[in-house]
This record gives sequence, structure tokens and C-alpha cells, in this order.
Amino acid sequence: MRDRLEDLALAGPGVAVLAVAFLLPLFEMLRLSVLGDDGGATARHFVRFLTDGYYLGVAWRTVHLSLLITALCVLVGFPLAYVMSRASPALRLWLIVLLILPLMTSVVVRTFGWMVVLGRGGLIPWTLWKLGLVGRNFSLMHTEAAIVVGMVQVLLPFTTLSILGVLMKIDRGLEEAARTMGASFLATLRAVVLPLAMPGILAGSILAFTLSVSSFITPSLLGGVRLPVLAASIYDAATRTLEWNFAAAQSVILLVGVLVVLVPYARLTGRRRG
Amino acid sequence: MFARVPALAIAAAIALGGAIAAPAQAQQKLVINSYGGAYEQIHRRLVIDPFARKHNVEVQVITAYSADALAQVRAQKAAPQFDVIHFSGGQEVVAAREGLIAPIRLDELENGKDMHPFAVAGLSRGEGPVHAVAAVGLLYNKARAPKAPSSWNDLWDPAFKDHILLTDLSNSYGLLGFLMINKVKGGDIRNPAKGFDAVKGLLGSSVVVATSPEIQQNFAQNDAWIAPYAQDYAFTLRKAGLPIEFVQPKEGAAGVFLTVNLVANRPNQALAKKFIDFSLSPEVQAGWAQELRYSPTNKATRLDAALSREVIYGEQAVAGLVRFDPVEVADARAGLVETWKKLIAR
Repeated sequence: MRDRLEDLALAGPGVAVLAVAFLLPLFEMLRLSVLGDDGGATARHFVRFLTDGYYLGVAWRTVHLSLLITALCVLVGFPLAYVMSRASPALRLWLIVLLILPLMTSVVVRTFGWMVVLGRGGLIPWTLWKLGLVGRNFSLMHTEAAIVVGMVQVLLPFTTLSILGVLMKIDRGLEEAARTMGASFLATLRAVVLPLAMPGILAGSILAFTLSVSSFITPSLLGGVRLPVLAASIYDAATRTLEWNFAAAQSVILLVGVLVVLVPYARLTGRRRG
Repeated sequence: MFARVPALAIAAAIALGGAIAAPAQAQQKLVINSYGGAYEQIHRRLVIDPFARKHNVEVQVITAYSADALAQVRAQKAAPQFDVIHFSGGQEVVAAREGLIAPIRLDELENGKDMHPFAVAGLSRGEGPVHAVAAVGLLYNKARAPKAPSSWNDLWDPAFKDHILLTDLSNSYGLLGFLMINKVKGGDIRNPAKGFDAVKGLLGSSVVVATSPEIQQNFAQNDAWIAPYAQDYAFTLRKAGLPIEFVQPKEGAAGVFLTVNLVANRPNQALAKKFIDFSLSPEVQAGWAQELRYSPTNKATRLDAALSREVIYGEQAVAGLVRFDPVEVADARAGLVETWKKLIAR
């Protein structure tokens, strides 16, 4: 009995903060999304979103860009994490610092940096022009490619460090055993390291996916007003056109979408561990 | 463990003492919004700092464009956090209708008697007075554009192709630029189809931006030659070293009326009204004209001949600006923004 009370007392403040700062706004948002003009319940806002090609296009763009970003983060992150796990501790520390360095600057400053590099006359278009691949006025700004590049830079550390954590725990002896059995380096990676690293890869990719699906500043600045993503559309509805109910409906759709992705992932990791 | 207790007790006592003492010495505080960047710097220099010194009050400035500011006061309706709110896009109409801003009587303002009639016409609707006027016309790069534009139709001139800059409708100036394009092409606010069709033709050869700094960046680095935007911003760009000129097209320039409004349900309304009055004084208005080429709304403002040519000076000149009915614009805004969003989406 004393134990239960102690547990409740310890957890109490945390739960209270969570309830007020997280659950309460969440319920308020759910309430707003089904509120009609007359105060009654209505599905009008959801219907508006789901039957309009424009909004479905925005949702599709958000999802497919996030999937691409997640895939790229894993493709780049896994080899990077492997190298980092096999490096000496000193080198590993430097690599980690190098990886997190972009996160230490303000998101707006970092994005403006990309605007200079990717814009007309910036380093990348200029190089491509000199190589004869594009015209003089080519610009990578305000394209989906720019969004992907900017987001991968931000989310790569999350994925890499998740995978690194798991890779560090894999017994070196298993790989050595596979090599002595005659497996090539790549075969060892595929048959031994990859399956064991899967929990880390899944955790890292969930993190990257949920962060990129709800991100707003980087896609807005790099993609521009002609390539809206869901979070930008919510911001627009909430502050520009002052349609709070519609903004809440879009937020609920975003939340449901993320939960829909999380459930199979949770099942996958659960099964593996168990 | 017990040695730490005195240290903790002292720290707690200091914190408590500070918390109790602070209100006793607190100055009166005014919370306002400003638009950031060069505008906010000048705003501080001409209005905020002198007012704070003169009345010995603290003025807290929150940077927010008009649309964001309206969203914030609307969200804070039950417990507003602003005392004075500035709008540049006609948001005062919506704010007055929703009871977010409180009416001011003309006789409550010392400068009220000197104001041009158009500047205080909104007072009867519960809106605040107009403290500055800007004109939306065409900005062009004098050094690189093949010719100086003289008409809104020059935006469709092939000479400017691929170097056009359009502003998103979420920006007050962008909205007015669009409404002028719509008017020139034969549409009106309630039937904007002609305007949207015209813009559709331009999309392939133009860049769409949402904020003023992006306009500067596009003129400076992205080789933009022509943009529908405001006269005051042309001056800001010239000060930044870019060869940008403002042209009032022959079909007319749209008038932007920047208002300063009193937020309702706040305790220090008297002080807020003094701030609003200060914003309307002749010295402040002359300062705005000098620094950023905003046009004055106080008849008593004196500008030298050269300066008065670069702004819209005098009742007649202001009457020559195209004024869209702010009530109509406020009602049509949501629909226009929605159609625009779908038009420009790729």
C-alpha cells in the first residue's frame, strides 16, 4: 500500500504536467475539428480535406517526401554508423561531433545556408552548369529535391545515432565467426549485422519519418509557397485564413496518419525482441 | 546533506524577495507588435523608444506580421496580451467586428483634428486610425531590366519573362498587388476569375515568394527584374545598395493603409491611447517619410519638396490611390487565398 502511494506521488507531477500540457490541448484540438458553426458536431472539415484533390495532393507530397527522406537517412546512416562503430573511440567521438554539428545551429540559419548553396548562382547549380549539365539560370531552390536535401541533413544524426547504439552492442565475435566460415564482407553484413541491427534501424527510421512528416520550417523555406506540406497547410489555415476548425481537422488527420505508421512498426519491433 | 540547507534557504529567500520587490518597482508596460526588419528598427527609433522615455514606461515589442498578429489577438480573446496592435492589410475590419479592438473617439486623440478625413473614417466602425500610407505599384531593377515598366500589363511583356517576382496572397502587399492585376484585367473582388487566369499565365516564368526579405534576396541574387510591391520597400532596397526604382503604373497604384489599434479588455487603455496619439504626431510621420518613404496621414506634417515627391503627399494624391473597400477585402480574403493556394501549387 505504501509502495503504491509512493509510486503515485513520484509519478504524480509528471503525469499532471503531461495531462495539462499535452492531453488537454490534444482534446481541445479534437473538439475543434468536429465543431460546426452552430456548436454541434460535424464531419464537414474532414470531408473538405478528404474530397479535395489539392489537399490530398498536399498529404501525398508530405508522405512520399517523408518516405524518401527516411529511406535516404537509413541508406546513408547505416554504413556511416557501421564505420563509426568499428572506428577507434577517439575517431568515433569526432565523427559524432561532425554529425551533430549541423543541429547546433539555428534551423533558420541552417536553412538560409541551403538557400545560398542551392539558389541561382549558388555552389551546386554553378558546378552543374560548369559541367555542362544545366543552363545558366538553373536553381535547385523551391524544388522537392531541396526539401529532401535540407531534411536529410537534419534527420541523419537521429537515424545514425540510433543505429550506432545498436551496432555497438553487437558481439564482434559473431562477425569474425562468419568471416572464418568463408562469408565475404558483404555477405557478413547482410546475414549477420543487418538482422541484428534491425531494431536500431526501425527505431531510427520511425524517428526520421515522424519528424519529417510534421516538419514545417525547412520545407516551407526550401520548398517555397508552391510546394506546401501538411504542416505548412495547417499553419496557413490557423494563422492566415483563420479557419481554426479546418486546421484542427488537418492536425487530426496528420496525427492519425502518424499513428497508422507507428502501429505496424511497434508490432515489428515487439515481435523481434520477443 | 544538512550543510546544503542554509545555502538552499538563502537562495529561496533571494528568489522570493526578488519576486515580491519586482512588482513594487515595476513600470507601466505596453505590449505592441511590429513588423520586424528595417521597419521595426525605424519604428523603435521614431516611436517606441521616444515614447518609452517620455512617459517612463516599458514597451515590449512582439514581431508579427499583420495576419499572425490578428491570429494571436483572436486566440487571446479571453485574456489579451497586446495593448496596441498594428495592421497593414485591412485586418482591423475583422478585428473590430469580432470585438478584439476597442473604439476610439476622435476627441480622445490630440492629433485627431489634424488628420486627413480618410485616416479617421474607420473610427466610426470601431477601427483604429491610419498612421501611414504606402502605395503598391511596380518595383524594377533599373540596372538590369530592359526597360522601365509603365503599366501593370508590362508584367506580361516577354521582355521581362523569367525575371518576374510575385508575392503570395498571405502577405498584405501581395494581396493588393493581385487585386490591382485583377482590376486591370477586368475583374473585381467578387469575380476574380480574370485575375487568376492572368496570374496563371505568369506562373511559368516567375518566382513566388512570401516575405519581404525573400524579395530582397531574389533581386540581389536571383536576377529578378520586376515585382509588384510597395513604394516603401523600394526605398529599403535602395538603402541596401540595390538599384531598385518604384513606378506608379498608369492604371494606378493600390493604397495600403497601416492602422494602429487599441486592443479591447486591457487595463492600461489610457496609456495605449497616448501611444496611438504619439504615432499620429507630425514629427513621427515626417520621420517615417524620411526614413522609409511611408506617406503621412497627418495634415500638419511638413516635408521638404524633394521628399514630398517621393511619397504620396496630400489629400488629393491619396485620393488618386486605388482604394479597395476594406470590408469587401476582409470578406473575400479567405476565398481568394484558397483559390490562390490551389492555383500556385505544383
